[in-house]
Amino acid sequence: MKNSLIAAALIATTGFAQAQSATYSVDPTHTFVTFEALHFGTSTIRGRFDRKEGTVQFDRAGKSGKAEISIDLGSVSTGVGPLDGHLKSKDFFDAATNTSAKFVSEKFGFNGDKVSEVAGTLTMMGKTVPVTLKASNFNCYQSPMLKREVCGGDFETTITRSQWGIVYGLPGIPDNIRLLIQIEAIRQ
Amino acid sequence: MTPRRRAWPAVLGFALSAAATGAGAQPATYRFDPSHSFVHFEVMHFGTSTLRGRFGPLEGFATLDLSAGRGGVSLRVPTRIVSTGLAVLDSRLRQADLLASDEHPQAFFVAERLVFDGQTLRELRGEFTLRGTSRPLSLRALRFSCGMHPVLGREWCGGDFAAELKRSDYGITFGLPLVADRVRLLIQVEAIRDQ
Repeated sequence: MKNSLIAAALIATTGFAQAQSATYSVDPTHTFVTFEALHFGTSTIRGRFDRKEGTVQFDRAGKSGKAEISIDLGSVSTGVGPLDGHLKSKDFFDAATNTSAKFVSEKFGFNGDKVSEVAGTLTMMGKTVPVTLKASNFNCYQSPMLKREVCGGDFETTITRSQWGIVYGLPGIPDNIRLLIQIEAIRQ
Repeated sequence: MTPRRRAWPAVLGFALSAAATGAGAQPATYRFDPSHSFVHFEVMHFGTSTLRGRFGPLEGFATLDLSAGRGGVSLRVPTRIVSTGLAVLDSRLRQADLLASDEHPQAFFVAERLVFDGQTLRELRGEFTLRGTSRPLSLRALRFSCGMHPVLGREWCGGDFAAELKRSDYGITFGLPLVADRVRLLIQVEAIRDQ
């Protein structure tokens, strides 16, 4: 059973190479942005954004793609209630005013038939800055539950938060923030 | 290696006695700061993307004698307080075939062997107990440092540690192999010295 699922996924992946550009809707249950911030040079604070939506257009044969993903800044979750509150305050996101962060890309890089990077811009706090996400994993499979093709992977980048004007706590909490992005998107 | 079962008080008692008999040196006790002590797990989903979740705050303490290069760590992971960002997944994880949070509300890590390279802490070697099954586990130090806490003005140590385990070793086999067996743990800990 398990082997046949894997075989089905492989066949689906191979067959997909002939397909034209298709639209994929971001699966919110397997799509998260996690950030990492070093705390006073000692330990890494991690947080996650729980609400997001977006679509990806992807043409594996033509090696092109587009993505538009929106993250609700008010959905930040660190496991520490007062820290979540502080992050949403004017010291950081001012989430009441800046409700979302938006990543837009029209440039997918490929290594063979796998997406290797996604270059675009990240807009938040009213500022738009170029950001390139590097893939550490990429794969497409036929979901046995959804009976549809799912493509996704892991991406990461390091941003400099002061570029968006977020300077609170520097340098004890450094300017460089690592972002780890899990994404899976379902073919429509 | 056959999994062993042990009750938490016995493990804790062992750690305390190990710390007490550690040497002539005076180890100091550092208690975990609940706002900076968490464990995140990472597991591969359908060979495609990394599913992440968080447990914590962790409860526990470390006994450290850095000059003598010894110490111990005892930490408890509340298995009910799992957070993936998906309430339905969190509930599923607490069920009997996964974390079994009703029967085993806590997982434990106890290390009585700290591996130093000069003054640098490299590894915590100990035993991890999950769902009542105990297995050896090493936490590799990605960074570790001690100093004066910039806000609290008290001695403080902290760092990041990483470990890998196979969930099937602890009897958690649901979803294999589509959700991978290998689970990576990333542990953030900061601890304040007892006054």
